[in-house]
Amino acid sequence: MGKGQPSYTDEELLAGIRHGDDRALAHMYRQYLPTVIHLVTQNSGTEDEAKDIYQEGVMVFYEKVREGTLELSCQIKTYLYAVCRRLWLKRLAEKGRYGGRLDDHEPYLETGAEADLADAEERDRQFALMSEALGRLGEPCRSLLEGFYLLDKSMQQLTAEHGYTNADNAKNQKYKCLVRLKKLFFTQYKEEPLP
Amino acid sequence: MMTEADYYAFFDDYLNDRLDAPVRENLERRLAADPVLAERLADYQRVTGTLHAYGQRLRVSEKLRAIQAEIDAEQETTVETGRPDMPVLRISRTEQWLREFWHGHRATMGVAASVAVLAVFATLLGLQWWSTLEQPARVQQLRLEVAQLKNAQKKSQRVMNQVINQIGATPPPVQGKFSGTGFALTSDGYLVTSYHVIRGADSVLIEGRDKQRFRAEPVFSDAAHDLTILRITDRRFKGFGRLPYTVKRRQADLGEKIYTVGYPREDQVYNDGSLSARSGFEGDTGFYQISIPVNPGNSGGPVLDDKGNLIGVISGRQMDVQSAAFATKSSYLARLVDSLSAAPNPHTYNLPKQNQLTGQTRPQQVRKLQDFVFVVKVFE
Repeated sequence: MGKGQPSYTDEELLAGIRHGDDRALAHMYRQYLPTVIHLVTQNSGTEDEAKDIYQEGVMVFYEKVREGTLELSCQIKTYLYAVCRRLWLKRLAEKGRYGGRLDDHEPYLETGAEADLADAEERDRQFALMSEALGRLGEPCRSLLEGFYLLDKSMQQLTAEHGYTNADNAKNQKYKCLVRLKKLFFTQYKEEPLP
Repeated sequence: MMTEADYYAFFDDYLNDRLDAPVRENLERRLAADPVLAERLADYQRVTGTLHAYGQRLRVSEKLRAIQAEIDAEQETTVETGRPDMPVLRISRTEQWLREFWHGHRATMGVAASVAVLAVFATLLGLQWWSTLEQPARVQQLRLEVAQLKNAQKKSQRVMNQVINQIGATPPPVQGKFSGTGFALTSDGYLVTSYHVIRGADSVLIEGRDKQRFRAEPVFSDAAHDLTILRITDRRFKGFGRLPYTVKRRQADLGEKIYTVGYPREDQVYNDGSLSARSGFEGDTGFYQISIPVNPGNSGGPVLDDKGNLIGVISGRQMDVQSAAFATKSSYLARLVDSLSAAPNPHTYNLPKQNQLTGQTRPQQVRKLQDFVFVVKVFE
């Protein structure tokens, strides 16, 4: 670390991430990675598993920050540790190798991570449903909507790619696709009620 | 008539603030009044919101992977070039996998290994314990290990020495390694005892109530029915005289009053009881079960009924059952004698024909019997 990069306080990091500053995200990512790698490798995990867990944990944090719903009552480090700890416990339970205890070296209680993780799980479920709805949508609707919403392409770009005569046509097509997507999405949503 | 797609275009413009003020106010009024329309707007927002969030998730995930890849790349370069004087540890993919496996599973494997070791030892010890427990527990054969008598003997020897001082020299009593009981079969020097009494014997001594000792040798043994016929080989031997009892050839009846005389200790001991069953240990039909209390040393003793017929030869007792002793049936003894008489190079066994005990009281019977019952001493 170091490498001449400026050191941020927690407040600066939060502000940077909220405004979509990739350097703040990268800085934070580097700063707390070793703690989580330590946690996972000390508790029968590999370094690759640790990186997976950490990315998942950072994602929870990032999305809460971007939504503006994060209520941080402790240091970012503690929060990330608590989230990743919980995620790793879950992973161990899935692998059937959880001995009921982790070797802890950081505090992890009272961080609000549990509630945030429940939100994140619900969000994951919705994304999974959305991904499946997109898969069922069929072409060209799928690539049109994916291009616009997931890959962040402009309507002009999509008009050219899909060979529409003008942007308005493409736009109308997009709305029709959205209606179909909505139906697919909500039928599944209702088929799979909340657990 | 507006289609749903038209509404979506309309909502899009509304949410991105591209509508003119009057149109927007009109829409807002309709939204407030029409719950179906409001629901439709909410659906639109959910779908596009989820799509946007999903897009963001994918992009950020990609970003994080890129950051991680960058960190990994940096670490690799520091490992390889940062310290040129340190040799770089290169391990094969298999070895790395093995190391990871070991790291992840060592606790489990340790537990498994200890359980296996424990199980092996527990099984071995358990088997050994079980076999030592099981084998001698069932039937005890009743030959007497003479060492058991040593203490009693020492005491009597002390007394005897005093007596000897008074009345002069008598040879000290001869001690065998084992002893049992035997009784006369014919008047010309054949005796019966249990096979297990003389098993492994180098030499056998017969000692009567009058302390007269004769050398004897086994003539025939039947291990299955635990019977041995002995012959006295001593020249001094002149014959037993007439035997008072006869050998019963048929089976005896249940509940018959029976008794025995034997040498569980240095002196003759009388015991009585009744015939409990016509089969022996684990249903062996060669034996009776009798309810006479017997002890080591009683083996080979005669079992007689009320009329003075020999009905069996004491063999052993069951350890885990109260007062269950076993005696070889006399019919087998008679059959054995018959088969020996019929064998080539035969010797005629003159079994006693006349019973002198019938009709007499028990003490009279025993008094007549006791001169024909002997200690069988065995030397290995």
